[in-house]
Amino acid sequence: KPLSALACAQEGAWIERNFLWPEECKTMLDALNKVTACYRHLVIALGSTSDSQNLREELKKTRKKAQELAVANRTKLTSLLKDKTISKEDRAEYERLWVLFSSSMDLLEVDMKRSLEIGQDFPLKVPTRHLIQTGMTGSTTTVAARAMSVQNMKYEADSNIDTADLRDLQSEITQVSQMMEEMEMKVQVAPWAVEAKQEAGAELKSNMKEDAGFASICAVVGFFVIITVAVVLGYLVVNMS
Amino acid sequence: MTIRNTLRDHGQRYRPRMACLKKAEKMLLEMQDPDTGVKSQPQRLVITTIPHAITGEDIVAWLADRFQVDTQEARSFGSMLVALGYIYPLQDHKRLVIKPDASLYRFQTPYFWPTQQWPVEDTDYAIYLAKRNIRKKGILEIHEQEQYNRLHKWMNHKWDFIVMQAKEQYRAAKERKKPDRVVFDCQERAYWVVHRPPPGTVSGMDYGLDRRVDPNADEVTGERREIIVLHILSCSLVKYCATYHSHDPFLSKCLPSNPWQTDDNTYWTLNMHNVEIPTKMRVERWTFSFRELLSDPRGRDDFRLFLKKEFSGENLAFWEGCEDLKWGTATQMKEKAEQIYKTFLARGAPRWINIDGKTMEITVSGLRHPHRYVLDPAQTHIYMLMKKDSYGRYLKSPVFKDTQKKAVCPEEHKFSDAQLEQNARNRRPSLSPIILRQQEQEQRAKMAANAPVDITQVMSKLSKQGKDGKELPPSRRTSKT
Repeated sequence: KPLSALACAQEGAWIERNFLWPEECKTMLDALNKVTACYRHLVIALGSTSDSQNLREELKKTRKKAQELAVANRTKLTSLLKDKTISKEDRAEYERLWVLFSSSMDLLEVDMKRSLEIGQDFPLKVPTRHLIQTGMTGSTTTVAARAMSVQNMKYEADSNIDTADLRDLQSEITQVSQMMEEMEMKVQVAPWAVEAKQEAGAELKSNMKEDAGFASICAVVGFFVIITVAVVLGYLVVNMS
Repeated sequence: MTIRNTLRDHGQRYRPRMACLKKAEKMLLEMQDPDTGVKSQPQRLVITTIPHAITGEDIVAWLADRFQVDTQEARSFGSMLVALGYIYPLQDHKRLVIKPDASLYRFQTPYFWPTQQWPVEDTDYAIYLAKRNIRKKGILEIHEQEQYNRLHKWMNHKWDFIVMQAKEQYRAAKERKKPDRVVFDCQERAYWVVHRPPPGTVSGMDYGLDRRVDPNADEVTGERREIIVLHILSCSLVKYCATYHSHDPFLSKCLPSNPWQTDDNTYWTLNMHNVEIPTKMRVERWTFSFRELLSDPRGRDDFRLFLKKEFSGENLAFWEGCEDLKWGTATQMKEKAEQIYKTFLARGAPRWINIDGKTMEITVSGLRHPHRYVLDPAQTHIYMLMKKDSYGRYLKSPVFKDTQKKAVCPEEHKFSDAQLEQNARNRRPSLSPIILRQQEQEQRAKMAANAPVDITQVMSKLSKQGKDGKELPPSRRTSKT
């Protein structure tokens, strides 16, 4: 009986490894991708007239979320790739996920370094230091909310976050760099050998579907509005006469 | 702690420091001052109003006032800021110049400022093009489409990432309000116009080659020896500049006129390789150094004439032979080396050169396995010989003085605007380099055929005559070994 229990556990582990983990990785990579894109948008606003205490806090929170996703992703992907028993197609797929992951992390690392630089150059509390009048004046709270996957952002930081956070940022940058170097050492993946699944112009397809969907919804709503107006007018005409 | 961007660049290439960037940034910050900076106004678009637009004339006026310069210089200064990407035009976005009228400009956000340590990545450009593809629904400009296809080919392994990231960035941008979205699009577009210029324009950020040393690394403190070396180098640099100042067409007038400016070829025809009468400026350059004399073909001709009179032409001929070996084709190297040995170095050779025993030993042993630089020691020896001995005498010789007297000093051209246009219309291409090379080879063959008589031949002839009882001419001053 204990033997079969062990066999069950092993099979369970095998299923988890070969089916659950890749899917989890893909989901986490999508999330990491989203956070990286939002982080870049936030860093672009640094130093400009949309810079504020809130932006600094948004950057901090987004960054931390990105790091959590990165660490989780890295553990799973590294163990998937270290497994020598997987098939060739599986390995190719994991290598593709690996390239996605490392490209995201490259982007994130550069943006973190730049945000440190710009954050140091543009402290918020110094009155003689002016922000660049770029024409952007709105807040970035919706972008941050998208990154954190919440409805509304809550702001709870101190007023000196623009200087206090920089130290944390420095240590986080070192952590990320170290993680990337460790990853490259542990996993033998040749990134240039990976074949992408998307073709040129792939970005147009799903977006057009999205827009088309939106347009069709608009059309349907418009149709109903016109029907309603027609009904109301008809009723009034009937009432008048 | 210094944050270094190597992004795991194991080739360790560093971008050179562009000192102007930090200075431009300081100025940008001054421009932001609400009291003393540049006045901004709102830009009215169809539905939205976007603040912080500045006019070209305001920028130029502010620069002229701040640096106390005239309008022309302030304009070039402003154009430099636009070319580097600190300010971008809102209308006519592809032309990166300051128009000193009511055209509108805006300041670029610090993330998109040009920097020395952050190289502009192709990945980012690919993401931008993918986003633009989404926005323009597949209709990109021609050069953008070409770049897109090229990047799709070369970055194919990252393409999934690029598509995913482009879509996410596009959706994230939509989260902002309309005016900010418009500004962001303009900013990003302006950034890529600077760093991936459309065809027919140049990027203000072209910097040439990468450096081997990181310019951001901690500087090493100079030792005393280094300071002395620097002092010597700077003195020689100053001396060089002073000597060549009047000969530099950028710094002084070019007589008769600079062909690049007036489209008149007289300057080039007067300074051709085999011209009979050289210009005075050219002859003056021959007096600067021996290297100048040898590198000018007309100067070399003159020197050759002088040496012929002195019966030491074999030195120059040997030197030229060595140059021919060094720069010639590899297939003919062996034959050339043999020819040179037979003509100049072998015992009893017709044009025997006088080099010291040690150099001769090295050269002869090297010639057993000839290569391009096998004659270098001998060539250097002969070069120094000519420089120390013959060159000084040449400058005092009647040959040189004659050439100097005959040298022509052309009158300066004074073209009117109509004549300049005429010149521009009459521009013709010069002789093809193939024809020039053929002419050179013909001339060389002719010279080889009428090789001048050297002292050894004369001596050998005279010694034969001497056997018949004739007197020997007085021995010429032999060069010291």
